Amino acid sequence: MNEFEYLIDNFKQLPVLIKIVWILSGILGVIIINLVIYLKYLRGYLRNKEKIFAKFQSEYEGELINYLYASEEEDATKLKIVKKMKTCIKDKFKRKIFLTVLSKLKNDISGEMADSIQHLYVESGLIDYSLAKLKSSKWDVKAVGIKELALFEITNVYSEISKYKDYPKQEVRNEVQLYFVNLFQFKGLDFLNDLITPISEWNQIQLLEILQKFDDQQITDISPWLKSENKSVVMFALKLAKIYNQFQVINILLELLAHENKDIRVEAIKVLSYFQANEAKQILKNNFINSSIDEQIAFFNMLEGIVETSDEDFILENVSHENFEIKTLALKLLKFINTDRFNSLSLVASDVESKAIFNYLEDN
Amino acid sequence: MDSSTVKIILLTIHYLFFIYAFTVIASYIFLAVISAIESIQYIKKNSFVNYNEILASTVSPSISIIAPAYNESLNIIENVRSLLSSHYVNYDVIIVNDGSKDNSLELLIEAYDLVEVNYLINEQLKTKPLREGIFKSTNPAFEKLIVVDKENGGKADALNFGINISKSKYVACIDVDCLLLEDSLQKMIKPFLEVTDEKVIASGGVIRIANSCIIKEGKLLDVNVPKKLIEVAQILEYLRSFLLGRMAWSRLNGLLVISGAFGMFDKKIAIEVGGYDTNTVGEDMEIIVRMRGYMEEKKVKYKVAYIPDPLCWTEAPDNYKILISQRNRWTRGTIETLRKHRKIGFNPKYNLFGMLSYPYWFFFERLAPIIEVVGILYFLILIALKNVRWEYALAFFILAYLFSVMFTIIAIFSEELTFHQYKKKGTGFKLLLVTLLEPFILHPFILYAALRGNFDYYFNKKKKWGEMTRKGLSKK
Repeated sequence: MNEFEYLIDNFKQLPVLIKIVWILSGILGVIIINLVIYLKYLRGYLRNKEKIFAKFQSEYEGELINYLYASEEEDATKLKIVKKMKTCIKDKFKRKIFLTVLSKLKNDISGEMADSIQHLYVESGLIDYSLAKLKSSKWDVKAVGIKELALFEITNVYSEISKYKDYPKQEVRNEVQLYFVNLFQFKGLDFLNDLITPISEWNQIQLLEILQKFDDQQITDISPWLKSENKSVVMFALKLAKIYNQFQVINILLELLAHENKDIRVEAIKVLSYFQANEAKQILKNNFINSSIDEQIAFFNMLEGIVETSDEDFILENVSHENFEIKTLALKLLKFINTDRFNSLSLVASDVESKAIFNYLEDN
Repeated sequence: MDSSTVKIILLTIHYLFFIYAFTVIASYIFLAVISAIESIQYIKKNSFVNYNEILASTVSPSISIIAPAYNESLNIIENVRSLLSSHYVNYDVIIVNDGSKDNSLELLIEAYDLVEVNYLINEQLKTKPLREGIFKSTNPAFEKLIVVDKENGGKADALNFGINISKSKYVACIDVDCLLLEDSLQKMIKPFLEVTDEKVIASGGVIRIANSCIIKEGKLLDVNVPKKLIEVAQILEYLRSFLLGRMAWSRLNGLLVISGAFGMFDKKIAIEVGGYDTNTVGEDMEIIVRMRGYMEEKKVKYKVAYIPDPLCWTEAPDNYKILISQRNRWTRGTIETLRKHRKIGFNPKYNLFGMLSYPYWFFFERLAPIIEVVGILYFLILIALKNVRWEYALAFFILAYLFSVMFTIIAIFSEELTFHQYKKKGTGFKLLLVTLLEPFILHPFILYAALRGNFDYYFNKKKKWGEMTRKGLSKK
């Protein structure tokens, strides 16, 4: 006790700054002790949580398998399982596990069993939790809710979900778009008609992948989207035009060659190139000098498929182009339409770069 | 100079040290708070992302993995196999054998059925010439592999060569001895594809320490905490740096460095800025600073993204000699980069980059070791003069020590609450124990290495990379 009093007395006599430092050290010490204790608890908790998660996961998987394989005469078994699940999902943690198991199964199976899972999702009341998530003020909860409704193919909330198609948070918009396309296939793309916000490249790829999985590959008219004021919608429509061979939109694609956005112009050339649209050739030749390098490269790539001997003069104008790629493509095309001219140019090539290109093209 | 003037000077020095220390601590607290916000945001954003559709898509953008190799014959076959095992569809792997003196090329030719091919190179970035040539595999299983054998020009030169021959829109530059997880490419490409209102010019990943981890056939099977204190201490250092530091700078869009071990770039911009600088040992930091400067000058809205997922695992030095050599190089790289781009510092034309990121790196990374050593020397002088007020000194030492311990524990917390990689029982205790020891077993050596780096930078210009002997990730 005396030692403690001695320390207190000493402390009182210290300068103010030192007192503050010691007090701060004391506070840090207490924080560290608490953090260490909490860290021990946290690690134990996370380990246990994983174990419990695995335990319940395996239990629910078993129950679900029983549910799925129960014959029509075993309605009592099914009802019993549904009742049990209804009780389980009142607990947030168990609900999460149940949903994980259900989602995994839904992704892995198809046909009647998938319908049964969907039925169970509704019967067990999980749907109510997903719908409640839609009302959440937290964007991430809202996005998860939409994802769940898409996974379990709940189509009757279309109008509710449509409200979020231009939601400020991109992640929510992504889920809305995935919901539309997953559930309504090509018809689901109607959201593009009046979409104001941009679709990310990431989501465009996802949407295209989902669309390609459907049996019915009958695409709706993409013309309005190619004329959209939303640049990302035009870019997406260009991808659709290429993948789904939309030859009927060539005239609109030709108009896009004069679009104000360079990326759209380049993409339009690529799609026209894919369609081997000869109509584009003269337009692009006329605009060539005023085009960006990317457009010029795209045009020369296009010429690879549609080049004719009448293009020789234009090609010759570009065999000494300062851009390596254009120069190479021009010489490649020249070799194709007039080998003699190519060979004669090869003989007089003097710079290292040109020689390398000629050497390469002679062997390939 | 009379005694009162000396006193005033000394007092000013004291206050400058005090202000510096206070600012460092305040900045750490600030960064920790920002990183917590960013971590939560990242987890929220990515917890429900489906990467599978991107993987399989043929319209996904192409990526070239460029891995320079110099005398890597010990592990090259397995490392290449690991690089070829990505789940992403649209990618290729370019191994640039940078004038190795060992039999790396022969091993690769034999293992992957390589034959020389005629390849047209668009030399947009000046590099050392080819030595044996460019090789591709005759085996369709390895069709994604391209091996380049060129004259030695250093890591930056090899990366530039890889960029020259890449036909992809994006390039992922990595160390050949790094282990990439199968989903790393799609996670790294995501920021480039998801942003709609600005341009992502580069993305960097977290580097994790693979020492003592179980790795087989290029796959990470089990995560362990190593036995050696120096290795564990580096794990803590990496956690602090990647989960608290870079995470926060990413939030502020002020990231000045993405690790050379694994970073992805928009190839077009990397070429426009002139590629990697071959005259620095800190080429990974330098190219980011240059790209940022370029975007600021062009007044284009841009971002350097950061992916905190543990995607890339590498071998850390397991002895002090190699550690010091590595940190010496890092220090020289920082000095070279900051000096080369000094016009950016405190220049409002470069916005936050010039007014916050650069000054932070200058004061708290570049100058920190020097200020620390000056402080130590000053303290020793005071001891010699018997002029130390021990009640002050002791109190401040303890406060600094406790703060560093607390900060590291917060980094461990951040790890536990986000990626939770060190799950095994007992590892938490080990990490905590080393947290208490780290200021004594790691920090003094890093300080020494930084000083050596400063010395070598100014007085030993010939020094380049230094030694980095590797044992191989799966050879333990």
